[in-house]
Order: sequence, then structure tokens, then C-alpha cells
Amino acid sequence: MHLSAPEERILAGEEGPGRQKAMELLVALGDIYGAKRLIPISSAQISGASFKTIGDAGILFLEDFSKTAKVSVHASLNPLGLDLRHWKSMGVDASFHEKQSRIVRAYSTLGVEPSYTCTPYLAGNRPRRGEHIAWAESSATVFANSCLGAMTNREGGPSALAAAIIGKTAEYGLHLDENRRPRVRIDIESIPEGLGPLAGYVVGRIAGKRVPYICGPHLTADEHKSFGAAMAATGAVSMYAYSEPGRKDRVNKLEIEEEISLPASELRECSESLAGDSEWDLVAIGCPHCSSAELRGMARYLKIRKPARKSDVWFCTSRKVYARCPNEVAILKRFGRVLCDTCMVVAPIEKKYRSTASDSGKAMVYLPTLGGQRASFRPTNMLLEAISR
Amino acid sequence: MCSCPVSFLGGVDPANGKILDIDCESRGLSVADKVFCFPFGKGSTVGSYAMYQLRLNRMAPCAIVNGSAEPIIATGAIIADIPMIDGVNVSLVRTGDSAVVDGDSGALELRNVTERHVVTSIVRSKGRILLLRRSSKVGSYRGQWAGVSGYIEHDEPDENAARREMAEEVGLEVAKLVRRIQPEMFRDVDIVWCVHPFLFEAKDPKVRIDWEHQSYEWVSPKDVAAYPTVPGLQQVISKLLP
Repeated sequence: MHLSAPEERILAGEEGPGRQKAMELLVALGDIYGAKRLIPISSAQISGASFKTIGDAGILFLEDFSKTAKVSVHASLNPLGLDLRHWKSMGVDASFHEKQSRIVRAYSTLGVEPSYTCTPYLAGNRPRRGEHIAWAESSATVFANSCLGAMTNREGGPSALAAAIIGKTAEYGLHLDENRRPRVRIDIESIPEGLGPLAGYVVGRIAGKRVPYICGPHLTADEHKSFGAAMAATGAVSMYAYSEPGRKDRVNKLEIEEEISLPASELRECSESLAGDSEWDLVAIGCPHCSSAELRGMARYLKIRKPARKSDVWFCTSRKVYARCPNEVAILKRFGRVLCDTCMVVAPIEKKYRSTASDSGKAMVYLPTLGGQRASFRPTNMLLEAISR
Repeated sequence: MCSCPVSFLGGVDPANGKILDIDCESRGLSVADKVFCFPFGKGSTVGSYAMYQLRLNRMAPCAIVNGSAEPIIATGAIIADIPMIDGVNVSLVRTGDSAVVDGDSGALELRNVTERHVVTSIVRSKGRILLLRRSSKVGSYRGQWAGVSGYIEHDEPDENAARREMAEEVGLEVAKLVRRIQPEMFRDVDIVWCVHPFLFEAKDPKVRIDWEHQSYEWVSPKDVAAYPTVPGLQQVISKLLP
């Protein structure tokens, strides 16, 4: 990889050990992927913020790194393992809280924004079309590439942090136009109500590492958020192109190597296979974190109903969105907890719960593995019906 | 040395560096202060941090040698300050070898191992290939079946060596070179054989063997598997005769 004179100086350690280490990381990854150079980025999204996912080794690394390094571009951060204000009522113990606090301090010293959300694009870090960024968090990466037109690879936690420190990333993969062109076409005839996340779940399995070109019904921005998150959880997909009726597509059909049609029946079958049971310790909504519109929609339905109090209920969102929706939050709080800074995937829910229902396709991948849960998928409206009367 | 892919998260005990992976032939051995060779990494991205933990516990390998680097191991090696090289044919490495890693040139030197360059010529006539049974007077692989083979002498072009050996060992002066492929490397105890493979076509299947062989046979390529052959011969034949 070719480095400029200032980049060489960083690599030689002339700007300190922290920046040197970050540069070594970018160069090593650039070499692995055959990048020719580094390119500037406008922002970073860093994963690896929950103590549950990075463990003691992660804390020690971040504490050490934070002594000599600082981010040089806008860098936002993934959810933590707890709500900083309501961790006790979540059932998180003091030792977890203590370890989580050390991670929070280390990222703060590194200059990372305490956003604690997987939806930075709804919380003040929204890249523009054509901007190069270095984002970890697979659901945010797929949204940025597919819905915002920004350009990023699916970074790991350390590589996104290194990119934030240097303000650059290696130019390979989805930073290059030729790798952003779809190679597989997937036709979705229709999506039964509430099964959008499962459409993503199935598409991810089909597409694998390829960029899919999806022709399907109209989806709102929030529906894309859940659809893409599930796709990135079941596959290594980091980007898709989406065409809906009445819109002209800009896909080169000659490059499509495979065409697959996805009937609604397959989505119903997927829904049945993920239905689990109906005995839930926890009902968790907000993976990815809920948007303002989603909080409004749920509050509108629940406003005139009463809590059923059969299971614990979590509505997960970012602190920014929470602050924008005080009235909706007040209504939702009658039915359960409205949690910020965290979610059911990265919180230590296995300590308190055994069985969790969610409307998230992504959560169906991680609840049974990372969370040790019996997981049950239900569309949002069915969950709202179940938690109220 | 592991011949399987490695995950540092769950695959290596951070307390003592011992390999835990039940599928690994080196299970129970510690990577601490060793040159740790394996083909490539696998598993969770948190594996990078697990390598850092190993370093803090003073149980990290002193170097990592990979067949091909992938991001999790490369990231971990950098944050844990473990020198790492890749692009090495790790199938040539054995547990217990004395290794020297040169991070600048990216080279791995095995101090206890000698590299020897040899030619192996497969001679074909009328669709059958010539196998020679090595005699009891030769220095290695006695009684095993081989192609026409021998050492490449210092500075000798390998095709000359191949033709010289054919003349000496089987009395073939005229044969047409059909194909040659990149050298193949095989490890056998403390020797790495670097075999330069050739395929020749001979019009006349008459051969005259010398003291180095006790017998010969013309066999169909598909029947070679039935013969006890020298290491790597079947691999060379399958590459020369695809």
C-alpha cells in the first residue's frame, strides 16, 4: 500500500504510540485486502462497547490505548450492556456496572461521542451520499451503504477505532464503486404485515457475501432499518440495492449472475419456524433502536389500553430519540421500561431471563446464541397486543 | 503448529496459553513464547482482544506465522504487539521445529530442516507412465516407487537435470517435454523436498535401468494409487496429468 509522507511519519511513531498502533492496524488490513492507499473518512461508528461482548481483555486494551490516542473525526459508539441511569432495575449487578463504567471512561478519554446506539444515523451522525465512512455495527453499516448512499466496509471494533484516530481508512471493498454493484437479484412478491424483518432474515441467507438487488414492495425508512439489520445478521451482507414499484432502477442487469424469487409463503414459513412459544419472561422491542416514528406509532396504539403485566417489557432506543419523545415515552413507561444506551442483544439478559420475544429478525440470530434465550419472533403489533389489554 | 484454523477466543486458554480446541492435533500444548504456526484464523472478532489478554498474562506467542492473514488475527497481532508474517506454506512446519521469523522480509527459516531440490520426471508412453522401484543401494526411500528423479546439481538448470537423470537412470536420450509445473514442497522428517515436476513423452517404451532401481513398470495413471510411492508422487502426477 502506498503511504504519503505524513502517513509514513505516523507509522514510524513520530506522533506517538497510539497513532502508530492505529496506523499499523490500517496498513495491515489494507495489505490483507489489497488496498492501494488510505482515504479520508467523515465519521466512524465504533462497536465493542458492552462489557458482555469485549470482556476484561477489551477493557484493558481500551484503557491502555486511551492513554496515547484520540479520535480525529466524529466517532459515535455502539450500545452498552446497560442503561446508565436505570441499570439496577434491569437486573444488572454492581460488578458488571463497574466494568462497564471503565469502558465508558476509556471511550470518553479517546474522544468518542457517548451516543451508545446502533442507529447513529438517527442520533446526530448521519453521513451524506458518497461520503466515505468507517462504521462497525453491521446494521448501521448496511443502512449507511444502502439507504444513505455513504460508503463503508463492515468494520470490526478495533479497525473502526483505528480509522477514527487516523481519520482515514484503507480503500478496498465497498469504498470502490465496482464492488457495490449487485450480482444477485431477489424478487419479493409481497411481505405479509410485520414480516419485513424476516424478509431481511431470508435474503441474508441467500445473498451471503454478495450485494443483492432486491425488487419488492415499498418500505419506509424504519422498515429498511429492521430489514437490513436482519440481512446483515444472517449473512455477511453489508449493502443491498432496493427497487420498488414505480421507481426506476439503476442496476446493470448484465452483471446479475443469479435471479431468485422469494414468495410470501417462504416468509410465512420462516415466521412459523421462528415463532418459538408463548411463555415469555421478556418482550423486547427496539433492535435496531427505535426511531421517533416507531415510538409514536406504538404510543398511539397503547395510549387507550392497559398493561397486561404478563412479561417484562423493554422498549430500546437511543438517548437522543428518547429526549425528543417525552410524551410517547410517558405512555410506553406504563407498559414496561424504556431503556437507552443498551439493547437486548448486548445486555446481560441471560442473568435474569430465559425466554424472550421480539419483533427483530436480527435479535432472532443473537438472542439464542449471545443471549442464551429461547427466542420467539412476533410482528410488532402482536407484541403490543400481548403486553396490553 | 496447528494444521487447523485457530480462534483465540475459546480456542486458547488465556491463563496459560494452552490450546483448547478439541479438533486440534496440538491440543494441550502452550503457545507461550513459541513461534505459533497455523493456516488462518476463525471465529469471533472478540478474538483480537483475547490475543491482547494473552499478552498481558505473558502467555503470548513470540511470533505468529500464518498461511494467509485474515483481519481478526492481524488486528490481534497488532494490538498485542506480536510479530506476524503470512504467505507461508505452514504444511511444511512441524511442532518442535526450531524457527526463526524475519518480520522485515516476511520469511520463516527452520533451523533443523534442510531444503533439497530434486527433479521428478513422469515419462509417458502410449498412455502409460513409467514407475521405477528404488533399489536397496540408494540412500533414501528404498523399495518405494518413484518417477525418474535425482538431485539438481549446483547452478544446473532443472530441465537439464531432468534430461540428465533420464539418460543415466533409464537410458532415455530422446523424449519430448510435454509439461512442467511449479515446484512442489514436501516435508519428510528433517528434509523439505522441493520437487521440480516434469512430464515427458517417449516414443519408444524400451528402458534400461541402472543400479539405482531394481525394477520398473508401465502403469495406467489411475493405478498409481495401488503402489507404495515416495512422498508427494501421487500429488505431482495428478497435477501433471489433470
